[in-house]
Amino acid sequence: MSDEIKNEQNDNYSLNDDRRVKTLSPGALVARRFFRNRVAVTGLVILAFMFIFSFVGGAVTPYTQDQLFYRNDSQKKQYAAVKENTEFRYELADGEDFPTMAQAKFILARKKGDKGEFETGDAKYLFEKQGEEFYAIYNSSNKLIAFGSYDLIEVKNKDYNNFEFKYELVKAVSNKQDELKYKKDKFSISEDGIVTDSSSNIIASASRYIIRALANDIILGDDYKEQLLAAIESGSEDFTFVNADGDEAVYSFKYDAATQTWEIMESVDTRVFDTYSFPTKKHPLGTDRNGMDMLTRLMYGGRVSLYIGFIVVFIESLIGVVLGGVSGYFGGWIDNLIMRIVDVFYCIPSMPLIIILGSVMDTMHVDPQIRMIYLMLILGFLGWPGIARLVRGQILSLREQEFMTATEATGIRASRRIFRHLIPNVIPQLIVTMTMNLGNTIITEATLSFLGLGVKFPFASWGNIINDVNDTYVLTNYWFIWIPAGVCLLATVLAFNLVGDGLRDAFDPKMKR
Amino acid sequence: MPNSDYILEVKDLKKYFPIKGGYLDRKVGSVKAVDGVTFSLPRGTTMGLVGESGCGKTTTGRTILRLAGEKTGGSVLFEGKEVYDLDKKQMRALRTKMQIIFQDPFSSLSPRLPVGEIIGEAVKEHNIVPKAEYEEYIDKVMDECGLQPFHKSRYPHEFSGGQRQRICIARALALNPDFVVCDEPVSALDVSIQAQIINLLNKLQEERHLSYLFISHDLSVVEHISDSVGVMYLGNLVEYGKKEDIFRNPLHPYTKALFSAIPNPDPHAKMNRVVLEGSIPSPANPPSGCKFHTRCPYATERCKTELPIQREMEKGHFVSCHEAK
Repeated sequence: MSDEIKNEQNDNYSLNDDRRVKTLSPGALVARRFFRNRVAVTGLVILAFMFIFSFVGGAVTPYTQDQLFYRNDSQKKQYAAVKENTEFRYELADGEDFPTMAQAKFILARKKGDKGEFETGDAKYLFEKQGEEFYAIYNSSNKLIAFGSYDLIEVKNKDYNNFEFKYELVKAVSNKQDELKYKKDKFSISEDGIVTDSSSNIIASASRYIIRALANDIILGDDYKEQLLAAIESGSEDFTFVNADGDEAVYSFKYDAATQTWEIMESVDTRVFDTYSFPTKKHPLGTDRNGMDMLTRLMYGGRVSLYIGFIVVFIESLIGVVLGGVSGYFGGWIDNLIMRIVDVFYCIPSMPLIIILGSVMDTMHVDPQIRMIYLMLILGFLGWPGIARLVRGQILSLREQEFMTATEATGIRASRRIFRHLIPNVIPQLIVTMTMNLGNTIITEATLSFLGLGVKFPFASWGNIINDVNDTYVLTNYWFIWIPAGVCLLATVLAFNLVGDGLRDAFDPKMKR
Repeated sequence: MPNSDYILEVKDLKKYFPIKGGYLDRKVGSVKAVDGVTFSLPRGTTMGLVGESGCGKTTTGRTILRLAGEKTGGSVLFEGKEVYDLDKKQMRALRTKMQIIFQDPFSSLSPRLPVGEIIGEAVKEHNIVPKAEYEEYIDKVMDECGLQPFHKSRYPHEFSGGQRQRICIARALALNPDFVVCDEPVSALDVSIQAQIINLLNKLQEERHLSYLFISHDLSVVEHISDSVGVMYLGNLVEYGKKEDIFRNPLHPYTKALFSAIPNPDPHAKMNRVVLEGSIPSPANPPSGCKFHTRCPYATERCKTELPIQREMEKGHFVSCHEAK
């Protein structure tokens, strides 16, 4: 009989044996249960990724959060305008007169034939077509007094700046001759109506085109005009001009049919902020509206969001645990007083208050960094009552547990009772609440930053990154501005909540549905 | 005069709990949990305290140990000294002399501490043994209480109810006390474990010359372990005396009713049961005179008005009843 009992005991021992049963502290048990929860582990992985992304990523990225990027942009600037002349211009011989009335009569008469006559009042004129859109006009005594043509004449050499030369010139140009004889000199005419002497000096030009500079500081050279006209006539849409210094410039044309004008646009290379640039190798998530690298801003923004989350929750918990702990442990009128303060804090509408404080700080031009500290303090001081209530409730219930009576009965000093017996038993619920609060704080911070009342430029935060989207154009065209920040925010808050849920289940397995 | 034979003398001990209500939490009444309890406990003996639920047994135990705040009246003399007159420092020193074992072994162990620390915490706190001997001492105490040394690193949740109660006993005994209040130490355990724990308590009493105040509502357990027995009803000790006297010759009608309810394993035995009418009155508003008169089959007019005083019927056998002979 006694042997039997002994055997049984031995069996019990072997079951109970140190080598068979692994000792697990409550903490280890919680960890084991937590890691068995796939959803919670997913949350933890997301959080780990976010931490690495924000803290390591921010250190690794080659850019800083407020580094501006530029791009070279060829801006088109109006440079000159070219218009084909479709009105007669008249050149008068010395001392002759061809009044406006006569000009109008000429236009009418011209339509009846290449040669004819017209009169105005007392005067009588004859005209004769001598080339394409080129008419010589004679008076009644058959003397050449003027000619009308579409060509614009410019004589460079003063020696030739006379009516006869011009007449000969236009006659030659309008008849598409390539030679011009005047008196005993001989000139050659290019296709564009440039007249050069034997030693290639430009003497004069005749052109149907009116070329006009569109800015005060532009002086159009002959070379330029010549090349421009050649380009227009060849039907191309742009041309490259190399000036005397060898600088190359590209000009493009645009023909406006309504005004029959070619607009010449100059492409000017400028450095502009590289705003809203789409993702490239250099900027994997593009750039924002200030021309800053989106990925870098996202990393730094994560840092700020997490920092603020942790510091705010730390402040909340510190105040909450101390006040809630004092309240629960001492009870009586202290408890009453602290709980009434908690009630008052619960009554404060935090959002309006924060918004007002935010705009006050705007008005006072508070430095963005100091502003961030104020933000944390404000959120922390508004958030503690929940934690205080939780801790108070926990301590009130723990205080009545027999193990607390046991510590009193064994004469253990108060500090040890609090820190060794009460606090460790409050910590599970506290950790769960803190984790959940982290997510909430990050959301609040993002909301405030989005409204422009939280974290301010140059500091990035996920909220103020999304703030860049202030119109539907950006929303619909530049997805890379708001989707990554939104996803980060969503993932982080979700992950905090998942981890919080996981921790709660792990701490209290009986709570599981 | 304090008698050195008695480790504990309780005289007319009262403990009222205030009932708060109305505006501003005014005190509107009180629950008279312990309302005049008198007894003395000789050194090295066990007194059983029995009574139905809510009659103030546990509060009596805790009030004696000064664990329920201030007493309302009466005196508790431990080794001749008034417990409630001691200052904080003296009280802390006295804590090692008187200990308590709780009813619920599940809530009486801090779930976040390993067993070794639970047992040894107070030993370190009071410097019961030199540091060098500490581990050895804990092992010894644990061994005495039927625990293995490797249990030290485990946590309470890894133990069964009986083992937990052993841990509680070890925690109390590690301080080397003279007097232990056992507050229903076995009522949460199943019968086989109950026996183990009772035997353990008996063994320890012999080895260490301990005095127990054994609170229970299980009369057979009390009969087994006690030297003397007190019967409580609604905050009063209605009968008190040597175990043999009480069980042989119960004088108070409540005691008679209580004892008649002990189940008899013999199915043929004639049971002469005294069945009490009604239920226990509220301790917040106890009946006048003898508190038992509302349910007492022998109650007279006198019982309704006059509070019975404790009378010694035989040597060491006290009863609070006008009608007891």
